[in-house]
Amino acid sequence: MGSEYSPSLRSGLPGLIFILETAFILIFYFCFSYECQSQSEDLTIYPAFQDVSVMVILGFGFLLAFLKRYGFSSTGFNLLIATLGIQWALLMEGFLFSSPSGKVKISLPSVAKATISVTAVLISAGALLGKANPIQLIWMAMVEVAAFSASRWINVQFLKVEEHTSLMHVHIFGTYFGLAASWWLYHSSLSKGVDKKKANPLSELFSMLGTLFLWMFWPSFNSVLIVDVTEKRNAISNTYYAMGVSAVAAFALSALSSRDGKIQMIHIHQATLAGGVALGFSAPFIPYPWIAMILGLLASNIAVLGSRCLEIYLNPVLKIHDTCGIHYTFGLPGLLGAIANVILFIIIKWASLSSLGYPVLIEVGSFMLTTAIGLGAGFITGFFLTFKLWKTLPASKYFDDQAYWEFPHLAHGF
Amino acid sequence: MRFKFSLLAIFLEALIIVLFGIFVRYQEDQRITNRVNIHKTILKSFGYEMNQIFQDVHVMIFVGFGFLMTFLKKYGFSSVGINMLIAALGLQWGTLVQGFWHMKEQKIHINVKSMINADFSTATVLISFGALLGKTSPVQMLIMTILEIAIFSCNEHLVVNVLRATDTGASMTIHAFGAYFGLAAARVLYRSGLKEGHKNEKSAYHSDIFAMIGTLFLWLFWPSFNSAIAETEYLQQRAVINTYFSMAACTLTAFALSSLVEHRGKLDMVHIQNATLAGGVAIGSCADMDIYPFGAMLIGSIAGFVSVIGFKFLTPFCSSKLKIHDTCGVHNLHGLPGFLGGLASIIAAAAHVRLKGTDSPSAPMQAAALGCTIGIALVGGAITGLILKLPFLGQAPDENCYDDSVYWEVPEEETHLVGQFSDSEDHRTINVNV
Repeated sequence: MGSEYSPSLRSGLPGLIFILETAFILIFYFCFSYECQSQSEDLTIYPAFQDVSVMVILGFGFLLAFLKRYGFSSTGFNLLIATLGIQWALLMEGFLFSSPSGKVKISLPSVAKATISVTAVLISAGALLGKANPIQLIWMAMVEVAAFSASRWINVQFLKVEEHTSLMHVHIFGTYFGLAASWWLYHSSLSKGVDKKKANPLSELFSMLGTLFLWMFWPSFNSVLIVDVTEKRNAISNTYYAMGVSAVAAFALSALSSRDGKIQMIHIHQATLAGGVALGFSAPFIPYPWIAMILGLLASNIAVLGSRCLEIYLNPVLKIHDTCGIHYTFGLPGLLGAIANVILFIIIKWASLSSLGYPVLIEVGSFMLTTAIGLGAGFITGFFLTFKLWKTLPASKYFDDQAYWEFPHLAHGF
Repeated sequence: MRFKFSLLAIFLEALIIVLFGIFVRYQEDQRITNRVNIHKTILKSFGYEMNQIFQDVHVMIFVGFGFLMTFLKKYGFSSVGINMLIAALGLQWGTLVQGFWHMKEQKIHINVKSMINADFSTATVLISFGALLGKTSPVQMLIMTILEIAIFSCNEHLVVNVLRATDTGASMTIHAFGAYFGLAAARVLYRSGLKEGHKNEKSAYHSDIFAMIGTLFLWLFWPSFNSAIAETEYLQQRAVINTYFSMAACTLTAFALSSLVEHRGKLDMVHIQNATLAGGVAIGSCADMDIYPFGAMLIGSIAGFVSVIGFKFLTPFCSSKLKIHDTCGVHNLHGLPGFLGGLASIIAAAAHVRLKGTDSPSAPMQAAALGCTIGIALVGGAITGLILKLPFLGQAPDENCYDDSVYWEVPEEETHLVGQFSDSEDHRTINVNV
């Protein structure tokens, strides 16, 4: 339909996807094989892995479907970049982390790791929602997955961060990558409210569906890769109660912060998830549920306050447009979680005070490093995405499905 | 609403966190995990199988119940949103009050099973919420959550630990209890101003489809719900099988009856959304008994039958004569089938159906459990209704019922378009983009 007005993707997109897929298949053919041993151990995490898959595909897809004219693209492109990203993440994962001898082995945990890594891309895509076309999104996914794997590799290899913790950096990394990239795609018209940028009740309900799936399965997300039984159990229960608290607090704070005491759906979408994000790092180590609950309460606070203040004060100044509000849904709660993790670490290791300094420095350094790499890589990628070669959209065509999709009958109600 | 609701919610949350800080601890299993030979069973009970079922129950509570209630055309945000609020508050409070009955050394020890039970306890409130849907404010719902879960856990303790009745799928303790509690509260909160109906108390095409999402998720995961607290793996499997067949039989009956009772044989979406689930409710009490698949299918069919008949004839009667206005029809989906489930368990017990090994449940105890559940629910619901009627709780006036915009920021410009899928006047898109 809209092909006369916005650049057609016909020449670029299929070619790019075919080249990438062919390359992936060839690399998989030559370098990868399945793990032969310990398959039953693998299968025990299958249910949790399934939950994470639902979160990534269905949860994130529908969470982003809140724009009234962008539902097809939100869910569709989410599926596209998630599936592409998972394959690429498996490759990066395999080459960076496995021993050099022979073929790289694929097991269920490595697929789960790839799936979690890809959430970084989906979070960044939230910041660029409606402003980037599929070609740009695919390039972003490629760069971001590579950058995240590299940052993880540095963390694990040199800073000796635990693998699970390094994966939980995904929220911070994705957020700052996305924000830095969105600086390049900023257009002055975005700060004014565009009609297409709004939601309607139907699209907000779809978004709620995504929120609910993310919300429900977050305990699996935080615990899927933990091996130790007690830690796993703690991670599940801690996340469960933290999510509960952040949901209740989100409703209360949303009503409190609006002028006439009405609840805003957008706060519910964002703040209810903040608890799970904040718990990412420390969920397995928190000894009592109430600590987790307080973290959930704080995270929810930050998310609601962030969406009240940052949108108005910070983003126009920095010339950033964050469509989905990822900065306060994932970024700030993630930082809160990282800081809380350091504090908990100090408290738990208080007894061996003498040797405390260096490990604490490492903990702080690791998440600072992730943030820095995210910002840097995002900034470079953002610049790279503005090339005309990728058939960038004119700002008047932002937030519109019709630039990419064949519409049934120019549907009423959209 | 601004301060009343927020401050109450934050106060409750702070109170719960303090109580958690004082009482709740994780179950200690350090000692056992070190012994390798028991390692596998621990894995089973904590990490994997339980967690799988727990996730299913979680989906039912949040997506299933939430979206099932989105059928009102202007009340979708509240249905899903307040559903989430109630469930999130309820699961914390449920953990506490259920834990108080099983304290060890002044501490509540929690594991995945207590999380499942906490989710269960929220289900009762969500069922009652269905009866009151559209007629209450979030403040009232917070108070109802606290009161109902407290009463529910007492009743559950009475049924399970004192009377020692069997109620694996909780037909009685959750479904019948929640439904009759909600109906009693609805009777007390009856609005005579809405006798003639309300202009927003209707569904639209898309809102019915959203409700169908909820129905499907509930339908899919009901076997997990009914088998979650079965004692052994064998009983669990039997509960899954019985529920599975009961739901299938129920669905068929519901479709058939819906077509039969409507004029010109058309299907009614309300029946499909609700009556198809009645089989899962009714089979609950006998889910893990040895009633053979045909018994389960019989119970399911009767439940589907009763449920459709209830929607067609009983709901209008209740609403006009008994002054009980039941928005979602919870009486037909949870009340009657739950009662039916209780009856079925009495009959099964009287017929000496085996539960495990040789023992069978005792019929008088099942009857006592059914009676006391409904009695406590009615009395508790009436008292809760009276409390909710207190004027300072911000009950919305009649004309503001069934309307999201009283409590939510609803995207404005579109509100009049909701539900007008086939509105020929809306050519806005075409004008702008072609």
